[in-house]
Amino acid sequence: MQYTIFNRKPVNSLKEPMFFGETVNVARYDQQKYPIFEQLIEKQLSFFWRPEEVDLSKDRKDFQDLAEHEKHIFLSNLKYQTLLDSIQGRSPNIAFLPVCSLPELETWIETWAFSETIHSRSYTHIIRNIKSDPSDVFDDIVRNEEILKRADSVSKYYDSFIEYMNLFNLLGLGVHDINGKKTEITMFELKKRLYLCLVSVNVLEAIRFYVSFACSFAFAERALMEGNAKVIKLIARDEALHLTGTQHMMNLMASGQDDEEMARVAEECKQQAEEIFVEAAEQEKQWAEYLFKDGSMIGLNKDILCQYVEYITNIRMQAVGLNSPFEARSNPLPWMNAWLVSDNVQVAPQESEISSYLVGQVDSEVSADDFDDFDL
Amino acid sequence: MSDEVKIEIDDLVPIYAPKSQSILSSLEQHDIRIEYQCRSGYCGACRVKLLEGRVDYDEPPLAFIKENEILTCCSKAITDLKLERPLT
Ligand SMILES: [Fe+2]
Ligand SMILES: [Fe+2]
Repeated sequence: MQYTIFNRKPVNSLKEPMFFGETVNVARYDQQKYPIFEQLIEKQLSFFWRPEEVDLSKDRKDFQDLAEHEKHIFLSNLKYQTLLDSIQGRSPNIAFLPVCSLPELETWIETWAFSETIHSRSYTHIIRNIKSDPSDVFDDIVRNEEILKRADSVSKYYDSFIEYMNLFNLLGLGVHDINGKKTEITMFELKKRLYLCLVSVNVLEAIRFYVSFACSFAFAERALMEGNAKVIKLIARDEALHLTGTQHMMNLMASGQDDEEMARVAEECKQQAEEIFVEAAEQEKQWAEYLFKDGSMIGLNKDILCQYVEYITNIRMQAVGLNSPFEARSNPLPWMNAWLVSDNVQVAPQESEISSYLVGQVDSEVSADDFDDFDL
Repeated sequence: MSDEVKIEIDDLVPIYAPKSQSILSSLEQHDIRIEYQCRSGYCGACRVKLLEGRVDYDEPPLAFIKENEILTCCSKAITDLKLERPLT
């Protein structure tokens, strides 16, 4: 058993690598090997928001008035987002915490995953508002062939790493007889699966999510489903931070300053990492085909969304030092930045759309007949 | 010392912009479109390659940048700059 919930050994975590060093004992943040993770935690905490703060009452009517093929686009996109955050709400904790060696990184991972649970709660908020029976939507996520295909591709690198890490934690390095099969557990393979898992997380948060954001904002561009867009803006602000966290981890790994063997892993996996990006881009294009199978919407169709997939894939690959095979082109959805921009997302009480404020507003309105029950 | 700097991007016509303003805002004022999201240094969307010159940040940004890259949303030019045109 490699893992212990409280390592009794005195460790200087300033000298530990991010992963596969000593397990963390004292959760202390007075000193940090990588202050960036502490800064990310602070930032994420400052972003805290609650789905209920966004009023969705106009969305309900908007949704009812959508054409059938637009309802399909909206709901399928929402199902996909729900799937992605269901995965992200648990998997960083399950996969990365048991092998993490720095207190600030451990807490960043937990803070990151916690914010994903808010995203999941917001989908329930949205779906409850537009469907009398939310189960129609939720149940389909584990029945619908197209969604299941997506689930497969976003979870396989997590599963592959988690399985191997569990064997490592139980049996340690070396050759083991597992169910009659000889299985070798090596540190190199562990690190490789961790690295590839991080690549696929980056793909999930930096590409797949952005493609889904494009669909959400395409409705809002037509002044439809604007409450939903407001929630998605808050989610996008969080995701921008998450992908920054993952880019830092990947670049620290590749640099070798954290762990030399990890740098060799990153180098050896370069082609595989590129393939993961490209494969995901192809899957997103297939998804676009499914979304628009019954028709396009004003401002967005299959071809434009596919161009956006290639565009955003290029940018994300560049950021982590990988080469993209897609032709460099300009952003086919120039309105995206204006929706994504986060300096104007504030869940401030003076905003009229916010339900808690509206409640106060109703309460403070006094009319003559409010006093009808008064007897002097 | 002048309060203006010259910013060159590839073969575009150079622009002149006040030192006090973020590079992103200066580029936008001259209709040079580049990618952005957070406009406060944590998302990395606005990163470009710095070929020549020096910039300064009010506070160190959170986004990952390589040594030769800058975040245009939260950096200000200290000297004249040469930038590489990013994907837009
Ligand atoms: Fe999320
Ligand atoms: Fe995320």
